[in-house]
Formats: sequence, structure tokens, C-alpha cells
Amino acid sequence: MSFFENLKMAFGSIAANKMRSLLTMLGIIIGISAVITITTLGTTLRATVKGALDSLGSNLFYVYLSEKNADNYYDTVEIEVTPDDLIQLSMLEELVEKYPDEIRLADENSAGSGTLRNSENKDVSINIVGAYNGTLDYNGGKILAGRNLTMRDVTERKYTCIVSDIFVRQYFKKGEDPLGRVIIVNTEGGAALELSIVGVYKYNAMINGMGATSEEEMKTPVYVPNTIAQQLQGIYYDPGLWGTMLSFNIKYDSKTVQDHIQSFFDEKYASNKNYGIKISSAMDQLKMIDTVINVITIVVAVIAAISLLVGGVGVMNIMLVSVTERTREIGIRKALGAKKRAIKRQFVTEAIIICLIGGIIGILIGLLNGELVGLVANMLVKSDPTYEDLLGNISIQPSTGAIMISLIFSMLTGVFFGLYPASKAAKMNPIDALRYD
Amino acid sequence: MTVSNMAKRIIEMSNIIKRYYIGQPNELQILNGISLTVHEGEFVAIVGASGSGKSTLMNMIGALDKPTEGSYLLNGVDVSKLSDKQLSEIRNKEIGFVFQTFNLISRTNALKNVEMPMLYAGKGRKERSKRAMELLELVEMEDRSTHKPNELSGGQKQRVAIARAMANDPSIILADEPTGALDTKTGRMVMDIFHKLHKQEGKTVILITHSPELASETERIITISDGSIVSDTGYTGNAPDKEVSAE
Repeated sequence: MSFFENLKMAFGSIAANKMRSLLTMLGIIIGISAVITITTLGTTLRATVKGALDSLGSNLFYVYLSEKNADNYYDTVEIEVTPDDLIQLSMLEELVEKYPDEIRLADENSAGSGTLRNSENKDVSINIVGAYNGTLDYNGGKILAGRNLTMRDVTERKYTCIVSDIFVRQYFKKGEDPLGRVIIVNTEGGAALELSIVGVYKYNAMINGMGATSEEEMKTPVYVPNTIAQQLQGIYYDPGLWGTMLSFNIKYDSKTVQDHIQSFFDEKYASNKNYGIKISSAMDQLKMIDTVINVITIVVAVIAAISLLVGGVGVMNIMLVSVTERTREIGIRKALGAKKRAIKRQFVTEAIIICLIGGIIGILIGLLNGELVGLVANMLVKSDPTYEDLLGNISIQPSTGAIMISLIFSMLTGVFFGLYPASKAAKMNPIDALRYD
Repeated sequence: MTVSNMAKRIIEMSNIIKRYYIGQPNELQILNGISLTVHEGEFVAIVGASGSGKSTLMNMIGALDKPTEGSYLLNGVDVSKLSDKQLSEIRNKEIGFVFQTFNLISRTNALKNVEMPMLYAGKGRKERSKRAMELLELVEMEDRSTHKPNELSGGQKQRVAIARAMANDPSIILADEPTGALDTKTGRMVMDIFHKLHKQEGKTVILITHSPELASETERIITISDGSIVSDTGYTGNAPDKEVSAE
């Protein structure tokens, strides 16, 4: 008796009792569809958040001073930090020089606001922000024209700046090329700062906020080399930092970059008894989301397991009824030469097929649920351009792992709960079974 | 040609006893030492009133049950010593059952019903359907091959059942009151098929019945009463030769 014959027989007897079979499957359908719905939403949420973090700068590391042997950031207050412990700018410069294409310094230093008068005699307000070559990454900006600030701009105290696309519209006339132009910024302290525009960046409203209701009123940052900003603040000696942001070129693998940074600082802090450097990344946030998703998945898995158990008991119940109903058939088959094993296999196959069909229907319903949620989510996202910028089109991503596991588990449910009725059928005495009405 | 004189012994029962235990003191002895020999190609009727033990004897012959004592050689194999699995194989290959109530599987059509013993014998799909079709032709049911049992009359069902009994070319056709549920006319038709199987195919047919008229159509009548053989008209020795097709 081939496997295929068994399958045909199982489908035949399931088809003979369609309604009953469907009701039997219900528990399994509900369990599996719940799991698939939740895991689909989980994987989609994760992918969407990761996408958003990528666009916001998942290529960022926060490098911070941490007490050696301490578990987390908040434990660092135990031993007093001395100036020698702090991260020196020279170290950071050295790091950036060591990996020029890979790592950028992303710290920023707010140096107050300033105003400029445009050709129409209107004042344009800006924020003066001391920056490095990676500060724009940190703020989610992208260079539209010209170039970004470089470390040379910083170390050589160049009077350069990059301005936002919004500033260009506020300050310049239409069609004017801002690159290479010199602007004069009147600072809060009364100084006039002459800066040459080397680049224009796209302002990221999602990260930095819209601030004002109209674009004309908006105050966007003008990034200047931090040395210039510090000069403006009257800072001529930088004592060092407790922590700083670093960004990296996304061409590189985040893990590799992190290792580079870690080993660089480990060397620098090798002789420091109390303090070392730790690195946290935006990916850590993703890990947190993963934890949440995992907890939800476990809860759903438990619910699904209960539902599969109940469904399985239902399958067993129906199989027992079916075996009793078909006692005569079993007797006939035995008289015709069916071995115990063949009868057992027939009924187990039937139970497996019932559960598997239930599982497949459950998976399809789960996928459909996912698509529906995706449809609604996309409608909501599209209704707000800032969300659309950040999230783009949410694509529903079913978890293939969950689908495979669901199939396997529904099959196992069939085996487990089909085995008892099947062996009951197999053990029947053919003489009694033939006499059964 | 000479084989017919020295026909093979298909059934050799000696001193078969069957007891049922319904609690220790209440043992019930159904068969009280039955000895019986049936040769290849015989058409035998086993006659007895209800409760005489003929059904138990039929179960024994059909390898559905094992004797409590005594030995039963079926084609030289001692059935009383076989395992459950081996008994299944014997039923599958050596015995063709025909029941009073037809016992077709109602969900599947006539052809699939005839195929069933071959399915359990592990025969391939093509071979099965070819042989099943031939057998349906033999019982003149080929035009009903796709009908399900509930679309067939009693006589038609029994003919399908006979075709099924022949599926694995068994040593014995074992028919238990095959006309019991049929009217006289269709019963006659079914009996004619048994005669045909016996004469043309050279099958050994054992007919269990309580009807003396049906029994009288056979070559040999064994009468059972109270678990013992009370009369046996004996082996006639002129079992028909198998029809050798000379094509």
C-alpha cells in the first residue's frame, strides 16, 4: 500500500464528510492563523523599524566613557572621573585619520543662534552648530550640492559652512547658486561671522522637527567647523568628552566598524585602571524591539499551543467517532488482507491530512490578516508626508520560519492525536468488526 | 491432465476445537474436534442450522480466527501457528470472501472495491485496474465499474463482491450465505457465477448456507450440528480440470 494510495484514501474520506472535517479543523485553523498573523506583523514591524533606523542613521555609534567591569552606562559614577580619563579630541582625530573612509566624527555643538539679512532686507534666523565631518549623518541630512565639512575644515579652522535647502530658499533668490557664496552671520554675541558656503544639505524634518508652521519662519542649522563654533563661544581649550557620536560609511559592516573603534580605544585606555570605552549603537534599539517581538511571539506561541492542543483533542474525538462509524469498513479491509499497520497508517494519514489542511488554511488566513493590516498601515503612512519619508511603503513580510514551523506542528498534532484512534482501529478483531452494524 | 486425479489438498483440518472463555467457569465450546479435508477444485457446501458452529468454522477456514486446539493446514501452511500479520497475508492471497451483506466499501466505486485486495497485496496501479476490469467483465459488471455501491442493486453488489473475492486469485472462494439477502432470481444468478468460477476457472468454492436446496447444487455437502460434522457426502474426486486456454 503506497503512500500515495493512503493520501488518496484520506482525501476521499475527508471529502465524504466536508462539514465535519472543517469543524474539526477549526481549532487548528484558529491557532495557526493567530501565530502567522502575529509573526507576520512582528517581522514586518522589525523590518520597518530597521528601515527607519537605517534612514535615520543606524550608521551611528555612541562612544562613551564607562567604568571598567561595569555592566551599564549608569554604573559609571562610582569612581570619580579625572580629566585624564576623558576622551580627547586628539584621540578622535587620530581615529578618524586611521579610518578616513570608514569613520566620521558626528558630535555637534550648539553655538547659539544668528541672523542674516537677505537681499530683500528680510532677516533670516539660523542656528549656529559646531560640526565635524559626520555631524550631518547624525542629523539625518544629506548633501544636495557641494561637499560636506571635512576634518581639515575643523583642524585648520576654515571659515566654511554648509546650509540647508530651506535656508537657500529663505536667503537666496530663485536660481541663485549658493555654493562659494560668502554669508555674514550676526551672532547673539554681536559678532559678525563671515562664512563661505561649501555645501547645501537636505533638512530632515523628521529628526529635527518642523519648528515653525511656515517654511519662511523656520530656523535651520548652519553647520560650521566646531573649532570656529568654539571660538565663538570663547572656548580655546577643550577638556575632553564623556562621550561622543561617531558615524560610519554604510558601505562598511557595522560590526567591523564597531570592532575597529573598540580596539582603537581599548589600546588608548589600556593603561587606565578605572575607565574604558563602551559603544552603543542604534542597532541596540532594534535589539530592544526584537526582545519585545520575541516576548509577544512566545505569548502567541503559547496561545497557539493551547489552541492546537484543543484542536488536536477535537481531531482525536472525531477520529474516534470515525473509527467507530467505520468499524465495518475496518472489518472488511482486514478480511481482505489489510495488516494492522495498513489500517493504522490509513487513519493516522487521515488525521495528519485534516490537521495539515487546517494548518494551511490557518496560514492563508494569517497571511491575509497580515496583508490587511499592511493595507491599513500604508493608508495611514501615506496620509502624512513626514511618515512617508521615513517609512516609505511598508511591505508585509511573512515569516517563512513561522510558516514552516506551523506546518510541522500541525502535522505533528495530526500524528499525536491520530495515533490513538488509529491504533484502536488497527487492533479491532475482524470477526467482531464485520458483525458490527 | 493427470493432476485432477491426485488433486492437491487445500484444506486439511484435524481435530479442530474452538472454545470461547466468558469468564473462567463459563467456557463455551463451539467446535468439538472437526476434521475436514478439501481438495483443489471442489465445490463444497457447509450446511447447518444457526448456532451449529458453521460461522465459527467459516472464520476458521477464512483465517479470521485461530483454533484453540488442533491443526489447520491451508495449502500446507499451519494457520494455527501464524502471527496476526501472517494471517492478514493468508486472507489477502489465499481466501476470497463473499459475504451475505456484500460488504462493499460504500464511498468508493465498484472498480476500486475490486482493486482493494490488490492494493493490500502491494500491486501497482495499472495492474490493479486492468485485473479489476477483467474481473468485472467476468461477472458481467464492466459497464458499472464507476458506480458506487448505493447505485447498484443487491445482485449487482454481490457480483462486484465476487469479483473482489477473485482479485488476488485466491485458493478458496469462501461464500457465507451469498444469496441470503437476495431474491430468488438474483440469487440464482449469483449461484450461476459460483458454478462458472468452479467449472471455468477451476476455483475451490466453499459455500456456507442453511439452505438444503442451494447445498444440493454442489458436489459435496458437509452438515454441521452442535459443533461437529454429522454428515459428509465426501470427496467426489472428479474435480474439473482447469480450462486451459489453447489460444
